[in-house]
Amino acid sequence: MQPVKWLVEFVDVRLGIKEIYQKELKGYLLPRKVNVWYTLGAVLLTLFTIQIITGILLLMFYVPDAEKAYASVEAIMNDVPFGWLFRMLHVVGANVIVIALLMHMLSVLFMNSYKGRREFTWLTGFILFNLAMGLCLTGYLLPWSQLSFWATTVATDAAGAIPLVGDQVVEFLRGGPTVDNQTLGRFFALHVVGMPLVLLGLIGLHLFCVKRRGISTPPFGEDYREPQEMPFFEHEKHPGGIPFFPNYFVKDAAVIAFFMAFMLAIIFYAPGLFFPETAFQRADPFVTPPHIKPEWYFLWAYQTLKIFPSKIIGLGVQVAFMTFLALLPFIDRSRERRPAKRPLFVTCYVLGILLFVAISIWGHYS
Amino acid sequence: MMLGGLGALIGAASAWPVLRFLSPRATGGKADTVTVARSDVKQGDAHFFQYRSKPAVVLQPKPGEFVALSAVCTHLGCIVAWQKQAGEFLCPCHGGRFSAEGQVLGGPPPSPLESFPVKLEGDQLKIG
Repeated sequence: MQPVKWLVEFVDVRLGIKEIYQKELKGYLLPRKVNVWYTLGAVLLTLFTIQIITGILLLMFYVPDAEKAYASVEAIMNDVPFGWLFRMLHVVGANVIVIALLMHMLSVLFMNSYKGRREFTWLTGFILFNLAMGLCLTGYLLPWSQLSFWATTVATDAAGAIPLVGDQVVEFLRGGPTVDNQTLGRFFALHVVGMPLVLLGLIGLHLFCVKRRGISTPPFGEDYREPQEMPFFEHEKHPGGIPFFPNYFVKDAAVIAFFMAFMLAIIFYAPGLFFPETAFQRADPFVTPPHIKPEWYFLWAYQTLKIFPSKIIGLGVQVAFMTFLALLPFIDRSRERRPAKRPLFVTCYVLGILLFVAISIWGHYS
Repeated sequence: MMLGGLGALIGAASAWPVLRFLSPRATGGKADTVTVARSDVKQGDAHFFQYRSKPAVVLQPKPGEFVALSAVCTHLGCIVAWQKQAGEFLCPCHGGRFSAEGQVLGGPPPSPLESFPVKLEGDQLKIG
C-alpha cells in the first residue's frame, strides 16, 4: 500500500474522514449558477491566514515601546533578512483585505443575499468588517510613525463627542491624556491578541451561519425562483447543484491566486502605494504634519468630520449610517431579491457607492 | 433568577478589577506651573512646551505681551501650527483656524484654545 493511502486509511478508521469528505466537501452542493463573487469568503480566509502568519513573524522583532518601536520597524525593513517582505505582505495584505471585504459586502448587498432569513449571517459579517477596521486602526499605531501617531490621536479624540463622559472615554482609550506609551501598550495587546481572538471566533460563527442556513442562489436568470419560506428552520438545499470539491474549490483557488498576484504586484511594482511620507517619519507629539490624511478607507469618515461644523453631528451621521447598514436585513423586509425588479434599491446602491467614492476623493484632495 | 443574579454579581466583581487595571493612572508630579525662558519666546514667534502632559504654546504678539495657550485643537486633538505670516494658528488635520489669542477664526473647531495665565518674573515666564 502506498504511504499516502496507508495514512488516509489509518486516520479514516479512527476519525471517519472519508465520510466527512463525502458529506461536507464532495456532497456539499452549491447552486449551479454560483458566480465568482461567491469566492470572496475563501479569499478573505486566505488573506486573514497570511496576516496571522506574517504578524507572528513580525512579532519576533517588533518592540512595543514608544522609544524603540519605530527603530524596530526600521530594523525589520532594513536589517532582518526578508523582514521587508513579511512587513509588506502584512501592510499590503491589510489593505487588500479591506478591498476584498468591501467587494464581499457590496456583492452580498447587490444580490440581496442577506434576505431569506440570513440576518445572522449579515450581522456577523458586518461585525467582522468593523473588527477588521479596528485591527487596521490598532495596527497602524504600532510603527510609531507620524501617520500612526496622528491617525490614532484623531480617531481616539473623536470619542470625546460622546455627551457627558466623552473626555473620560478618550483618556480611557489612550490610557492617559495624550497618545503615548500607554496607548501603544493597549493597542498592541488589542492588535495581536484581543481582536484576533474575537475575529477567529466570529469567523467561525459567520461560517456556521453560512453553512447551517445554506448558500443563497444568485438572483439572476429567467429560471430564478424565490425559495419558499417555511414557518420552521430549513436548510436551503441545491439538489442537482455543483459539488464544492473539487468543482467550486478550483474556482476559489483561481480567485485566491488572482488576489495573491495582485498583492505581490503592489509589493514589487508599487511598494509605496500605501505608505505616505508621514509613515517614514518618527512620531513627534509636538508637530502635526501638514496635510496629514488617514488611510484611504477612513477618508470618508475624515471628510465627514470636516464637512459638519459640529463634531457630534459628524460622528452621529457616521454612527447612523453604520447602524442602518447593520440593521438593513431587519429594515428591508421585501422578499424580492432580483436587482432588475428593485430599481429603487439599485439606484440607492449606486448612489451610495458614488457618494462614498466622491467623499473619499474630496477628503484626499481637501 | 437567583442564578442570574449571582452571575451578574460575579460578572461585576470580575469586571471591576479589569476596569481599574485599564483606567489611566494618576500622573502625579506634573507641575501646575511651568517656567519658560523669556529669550525662548521671540516677538511674533511661538514656543511650544509640555504643560499638564499636553502640548502648549506661548507667544509674544506685541513686545512684552505674552499669551499662553493649549496647542491641542479643540476639534479632534491635533497640534495647531503657528503661521507667522498670517499671525494665526492652523490645525493641519481638518483646517481649523485660531487667532493669536486662541479664538476660533474658521473651520470645524467648536471652542477656542484653552488659555493659561502668564506672569513675567525677571527673565522667566511663569505659566499656569
